[in-house]
Order: sequence, then C-alpha cells, then structure tokens
Amino acid sequence: MKRLIILALCLVMVVTVAACGTSSNQQASKPAESDGQKVEIKFFHRWPNEPRNTFFKEAVAEFEAQHPNVKINMDCVLNDSYKEKIRVLVSNEDLPDIFSSWSDSFAENIVSSGKVKPLDELFAQDKEWSSNILESQLGAFTFDGKLYGVPLTIDGKAFAYNTKIFKDNNIEPPKTFEEFVQILDKLKKAGYETPIIEGLSDAWAISHYIGTINQRLIDPQILEKDYNPKTGEFTDPSYVTALKAFKTLTDYMGEVATAIDHETARNMFANGEVPIIYMQFAEIKYVEDAGMKDFAFFDFPPFENGKGDPHALTGAPEGFMLSKNAPKEAEEFLKFLTSKEMAFKFTKDCGQLNAIKGAVTSENASDKSLAAYDVILNATRTVPWFDNAVNINIADAFMRGCQSMVIGEMTPEDVIKSVQQEAAKLRNSAK
Amino acid sequence: MANKKMKSSHRQKLGLSGSFIMVLLILWAVIILYPLFWMIMSSFKSYDEIYSNVWSLPGQWLISNYATAWEKGISSYFVNSVIVTAATIAGVVIIASLCAYGLSRYKSRGIDIALMLCTAGMMVNPQVCLIPLYVLLQKLGIHNTRLGLILPYITFRLPLSVLLIRSYFLSIPKEIEESAIIDGCSELGIYSRIYMPMSKPIIFTTIMLTAYYAWNEFLFAIIFIDSDKLKTIPSGLMNFRDALQTNWGVLLAGMVISAIPMIILLIALQKHLVRGMSEGALKG
Amino acid sequence: MKQLKKQITPYLFMLPCFILLFVFIFLPLIQNFIYSLYDFAAFSPTKTFVGLANFKALLKDKVVVTGLTNNVRYAIISVICQVFGGLILAAILEDKLFRRIAPFFRVVYFMPVVISISVICLLFSFIYHPQIGLLNNFLKLIGLGHLAKPWLGLSKTAPYAVIAVSQWQSIGYIMMLFIVAIQKIPQELYEAAEIDGASKIRRFFSITVPQVKETIFVTTLITITGSMLVFNEPYILTKGGGPGTSSITLAVHMYLSGFFKDKMGYASTIAIVIFVITALLAVIQFKLFGGGEED
Repeated sequence: MKRLIILALCLVMVVTVAACGTSSNQQASKPAESDGQKVEIKFFHRWPNEPRNTFFKEAVAEFEAQHPNVKINMDCVLNDSYKEKIRVLVSNEDLPDIFSSWSDSFAENIVSSGKVKPLDELFAQDKEWSSNILESQLGAFTFDGKLYGVPLTIDGKAFAYNTKIFKDNNIEPPKTFEEFVQILDKLKKAGYETPIIEGLSDAWAISHYIGTINQRLIDPQILEKDYNPKTGEFTDPSYVTALKAFKTLTDYMGEVATAIDHETARNMFANGEVPIIYMQFAEIKYVEDAGMKDFAFFDFPPFENGKGDPHALTGAPEGFMLSKNAPKEAEEFLKFLTSKEMAFKFTKDCGQLNAIKGAVTSENASDKSLAAYDVILNATRTVPWFDNAVNINIADAFMRGCQSMVIGEMTPEDVIKSVQQEAAKLRNSAK
Repeated sequence: MANKKMKSSHRQKLGLSGSFIMVLLILWAVIILYPLFWMIMSSFKSYDEIYSNVWSLPGQWLISNYATAWEKGISSYFVNSVIVTAATIAGVVIIASLCAYGLSRYKSRGIDIALMLCTAGMMVNPQVCLIPLYVLLQKLGIHNTRLGLILPYITFRLPLSVLLIRSYFLSIPKEIEESAIIDGCSELGIYSRIYMPMSKPIIFTTIMLTAYYAWNEFLFAIIFIDSDKLKTIPSGLMNFRDALQTNWGVLLAGMVISAIPMIILLIALQKHLVRGMSEGALKG
Repeated sequence: MKQLKKQITPYLFMLPCFILLFVFIFLPLIQNFIYSLYDFAAFSPTKTFVGLANFKALLKDKVVVTGLTNNVRYAIISVICQVFGGLILAAILEDKLFRRIAPFFRVVYFMPVVISISVICLLFSFIYHPQIGLLNNFLKLIGLGHLAKPWLGLSKTAPYAVIAVSQWQSIGYIMMLFIVAIQKIPQELYEAAEIDGASKIRRFFSITVPQVKETIFVTTLITITGSMLVFNEPYILTKGGGPGTSSITLAVHMYLSGFFKDKMGYASTIAIVIFVITALLAVIQFKLFGGGEED
C-alpha cells in the first residue's frame, strides 16, 4: 500500500516537472530579437491593482494591435515588493526594457548602475512627442545633464481641509505657519481632539512633512549643500527649528498618530472626524469616492522667518525609464504611453493628473483635480519628496528619529545629531 | 473496536477542575475564532464600512467582494498555487523522510555532523538569499518557472521536516526493525514498509505544515515569477492593494477564499491523528 | 564490501536532501559571507572591497542591540507560550476527559497557522487600533479602560504587541506537534500509574514530559530559531520596526539595510551574525539534550 502511495507521489513530481518544463519554454522571456520575428519587450510597473492594472493591460493590447510584430510581457507588483524586485533585477543585468520609476534619488540610484538608457536623443528626434511633455517635470529625471526618464504622472501635496468645519467655526485658511498653529488651537477648543491627523507609522508620511518644512524654513543654499551626500553636514541650527515646528504639529495629532498608518488617517479625514490632513492630490479621488465633497486645499503656509520660496510645491512626477539595451520597439511603447491620448485616458480611468500638455481637462478630471492641476502648474518649482531628495540613510535618520521624537524618546537635538552622524559617514565614503 | 468499548465504560464526569479547564479551552478557542470571524464578516463589507463600523455585522452583505476577489485575484492563480504546493509537499515528504531515516537509524560522528548541518539550513533568512538565488535560478534556466519556486520551497522546508520526522522515527521500537532485518528486509524496505506506514501522524503533520508554507509564501513568489500566467495566489492578492489605498473588503474576501483549501486540508488530515495507530503495529 | 555498503547507506538516504540544501541554501549563505566583505548597493555597478569594516560598524550599531534585545524577548516569550503552553494544551486535549471534543479544538487552535501572515497582521492592526480596536474596547467593557493604549504606537508596548501576534498564531502549531508525540506514549504507562494512585498532574510530570523529551527538544529548537529569524510580523505590523526602532528585529534591520538603505554588504553582515548566533544557540541546545535518543 505504502509503495503505491510513494509511486503516486513520484508520479505527481514527474508530471509536475514535465508541466513546469513545457510552461517554462513558453514563458521564458528572452531578450528582444529584432530580426523580423516577434520582438518581445519586458514591461514592469508597480500597479497590480485596479484601475491602473486594466489601464496598462489595455495599453499593451492596443500597442500590440498597432504593432503586430511586438509582444509585451507585462509584470507588476505592489509598491514595497516593487522596490525589492527592481533592486534584484538591476543587480542582475535583468533590468526590464521599460519600467516605472519614481523621480529624483530613486531614479538616480538606478541610473548609477549604468544600465539605464539616456533619452536626450530620443527627445531631440521626435519633437512632436517630446514638446508635449511638461518641461517643469523633466528636471526630476535629469542627472548629470542627461535625461533618463519620461514623466507620466504629476503630483503635489498640500493641506486638505474640511470646508464645512472651517465655515462653521469661522476659520479662514492660514497665511502663515504661526496662524496655522492658532487655527489648530481654535479647532481643539471647538471640540476636535485631534484637529490634524497623520499616520506616523508610515515613515514616508513623516518625510513629506520634513521635506516641506525644511524647504520653507531653511535657506535654499544651505539645503543644496546639505542634501548633497558629498558635502552634507546638517549643522545649521534651523534644522532643529524645523523639527520643533514638526513637533508642534504632531502635538495636535494625539497619541493615536504613531499607531496608525496614512490610509487610516485619511479615512478619519474623509468621514469628517478630523478637519485637516496633509494630503497628495493623487488622493483626491479616494476622498471623493468615500463620499466627502466639502473639502479644499491650502498650500503649506510659509514661516514668518522662513528663507525658502513660499510658492514652491512639494510633489514629484512619476514616469518610465528604459534599460540600456531596450529595443526600438520599447522606445515606441514609451512614446505611446506618454502620448496625449494615452495620458488623457490615464487621467480619466485612474484619476491622477498627468504630465502631458493639454491632456488634463474638465472632461477627464474633477473640479478639485483641475484646481490641483493649476496649483501644480503655477508653483514656482516642484520640491521632490524628501526621501528622494536626500540619501536614504539621511532620510531614514530623520524619519525614525521623528517617530521617536513624537513619542518623547528623542529630542529634536538628538535627531539632528543622528542625522549629522549619518552625514559624516556619507562624506567619508564619498572621498 | 476495543478503544470504543473502553471509552463508553470510562465516561467520566468533568468535575470542578475539569470544568475550569474546559472554560479555559473555550476561552482560548474564542480568542482564536473571534478575529477569524471578524475577517469573514469584514470580507462582506464595503471599504467605508470596514473603517466606520469595524466590529458590527455588515449592513449590506457584499457578495460581490467574493466575486471580484475570485475573478481578479484568485481564479487564474489557483491552479499555479495547487501545482506548486502539491509538488512541494511531494518533494518534502519524500526527501525529508529519506534523510530522516538515514539520520535516525545510525549513530556516528558523521551522522551527528550531518544532523547539525541539516539543522543549520533553518538558520538562513530567505531575504538575504534573494539575490544569490535569483542569479542561481537564472543560471539553471528555471527563473520564471514553477520549478524555480518549487525547488527553493522544498529546500527551505527540509530542515524542519527532517527534524520532525527524525524525532518521530527515533521513537519507533527497535524490535520491529530487528524482526524485519531477520526477515531479510532491505534498508529501503524497512523505510518504506515499516517506518513510513507507522509514521502517518508525523507525515500528515508534515504535509500540513508544508502545504500552508507553499500556499502562502509570497517573497519568492513575487521576485522569481514575472509572467502573470505562472503567478500564485499571494501574488494575485496583491492586485487589491495599492500604496495609498487598499480594497480591504475584496482583499479579505480573497484571503478567505485562499484560506478555505487549507482549512479543508487541515480537517481532512487531522482525522488521521487518531490514537492507536502505532499500538496496532506493536501488537501485530 | 558489505561493510562499506552499510557505512555509506545512511548517507545515500541523506543525499537528495543535502544536494538541495547545498545548492539553494548553503551556496547563498557562502555568497553572503563574501558579500559581507564588500560595500555595495543593488544598483552599484561595482562592489567595493572593505574587508571587516562592516563587522566593525555592526559592533557600534545601536539598532543591532535593539534588534537583538527584541529577538531575545521573542525567544523567551515564545518558548514559554508555545513550548510550555503547547505541551500543556496538548496534554489536556489528549486526556481521556477531553478526547471526544479534542478534534474540534485541535482544528480551531491550529487554524491561525494555515492563514497567511499578511491576513493575521491586518487582523491585529485592527485589533490594536487605539480607538476602534477590539482590544481597547474590550478593556473598556470589563472596566479596565485605563489600560487602553495605542499598542503599536508606543515603544514600550509595540515589541510585545508584535510578539503576542506570533504567539496567537503559533501556539496551535507547537501544540499539534506535541499531540503527535503524546499519542505515541503507550497507554499502559498511564494505566499503571493510575492504578498506583498517581494524580493527573503527577502523571503529566513523570510520564508525559519524559516521554516527549525529543519533541520538547525539537520544538524548543524550532521556536528559538524562529524567534531569531522573525521578519514578517515586525515588518508588517509596525511598518518596519517602529515607532523609531523600538520593535525592530535583526532580520528586519538586515532587510532594511539591504533593500531600503541600499547597503547590501552590511545586510549580509547582519545575516551572518543572525546565522552565527542562531547556530550557537542550536549547538548549545544539542549539547544539553544530547542529540535526542530513545530511552
């Protein structure tokens, strides 16, 4: 009897191996062969969820219909797994032909591997396509004077506030940071235990605050020097002031804040529980879907003694990059994805604003999104997300340090000290 | 048969201490079951209701969550998960039991070292193996294939399974072995005709422990597989998550659907954990 | 010839297992030893040889101390809850009194094991939620509202909240292993003791415990090893060991160093340290238990 079972198990194994063998022959993605046969392109992005998954699937299908000799193998994994996988792929000569990417230091890191294709030539050759792309968003993908990525989406972050609650309490959006704190006080007295909320367990949410506060408060020349890993020191006392400002805000967020994530925080805003939250324009759709209509944005107010540009907007594009050996067809696909028609469809289907001129209109964007679009276009400059503006070790020291600071285990001075230590390590290794 | 007779004639009253223990057992069962009950309840809720009415029954029972979860997150990946899990189980049961046999029957310095080496296999974090394994799978040509998942899965379960099966094998009485050897049984014969049949409880436990690992594993499943056609359920369930928002209701529905085969397997296997199996062999 | 055959036979049985172990686990492990001597990120075109610099940095790294502390907390609590708790639960369920309803409890207690860890972490993030969470609301219900806290948000409670989740999931696992072991104990031993007038508790300590010595050894080994390598629960529940680094474990620190802070060499160094500590602990356990033998 036992022999039979063992035999059966062996059979299962053999069959399985056979099945795997055949499927691997069908599924092995070979590097593209441009010799009249089917050209296979590997396309990798970070949105396995709806609605973007369907959008990209349809884009792939349409492109393949237009180019019958091309086959696109699409792979998509979520956010964190995406960051994992792209690192595994880039370390292995296996960078996909076309892949999605955040801008600034994230993109810069991948470019530093030497495996990403510069796009200046492509831009120069096809002016009809390239002139349609918002110039203000290209800088985030430009490194060492060369362009390496094409933005598809743009974003910005500002304070979303409940217009009804503000009206009921006779509050106007603040013009300075100091006014902002007074408003928070007023709301607290009016009975809102946490007039502002954030999910501080999400370290990136903290980094967004730090980035904007630093930019508003601190002299941009100091920032430029410190954000560069070769010269960064973070010795200016205004960094401590910036952290103290952040602590002032978190004092209004309650004990809850470090125990929840950003999504939970946003839901507290969307159901009317909390009047203010620092939010990305990309989240407008989520709040609207939750049924909330009475909200608007005010930009992060400037500090009275702030040295930074008060009209800069924190926010960054996201787009696509090509691997060094990507075939011509991958370039075509890139242009296809960032064409006016596809960008228009993208915003219509997925809700986020795109970086292509004329592809955001009232036909594919809600009023609030259109208003956000104007804010982005009118900003004097876009400020990258903090964790993409500095070396990740600096960002991590800030983010973790702030979590400890909020629960009272570190002082702002302690946090800056740990940042300075990280900066010293970076300067030393850059020599 | 004899057991049944014994049971009915020894029907005991619970008594005070017995009742107290019973209460504790039920309490722990509630602590286990309530969160699971919550999971099922929430899988019928809409996104907003999950956040606004966390602990109450769904106002509206959204069976559509299950339809969406099945359609977009599970159906195409179900077969892959079954194949990968079944092959992993087969591999682990055969290879681990063979190894455990070798480790339990003999004693020597070499065996001791082998045992420790095998155990050492348990002490390596899969995360640090990502890049080396990826390169390896590429070189072996099994990257982006089911086999590329199955082999690492089997390997990562071997140390634990070997330890468990070996400890069970150790308790098989020597008399049985000796009589088999006298009967002229080969080593392989002793293994297959005596040890394995007598070890059903640990084999079934191994099957269960391997099954849930392979079924729910997501680190390798995401990194080593690119093609949508080959992805397993954990990859599929990602389709409901996003950086800024997750479709919790549908995701939970997907997770419930995904858990059902495992629970069915559990119920089916644990029937075999019946007292008296080894006693039969001893008396016979 | 027959002597030789007898000598190599056990190794033949072990061969397939060791081939797989070597290729898929030991080769990567050796790779890690090599990587730990370099400094590089996943996207670095070249690796920089730094010798023992990573190890020196590790000795000064305060996060490693926090991580290790949490791993030790994990190990101690897990052994108490899972090994002792599991053994007691198994003994209870195998007792004649409860044997008829034991199958029901066995399935229930084991269910958390078969459920994906992502689900469990999701469940518990709702249970631990400061305002709408089950735990705090329950405490308020039984009049202990003053104990309600933001469990995952305070550095004092976060590590323990994470450890508790693992216990919830794994007690049934270890319990099942003990049930299998207890079932092998010949009934006659218990009957003889009962005739001699030994109480249930006495029987537990003089018969059950010695008879499952080997399983106690294996489950302790598994539990401690698991505690040293634990990654998923702290990573998912507290988003990587927060707040700050209070609930971080060595494995999370290792992963973040490699895939987040882009210091792959350092990540390998931490991996080596985890391996060495765990192996040392295992050797100690092997020596203490004598490698397990039938009495």
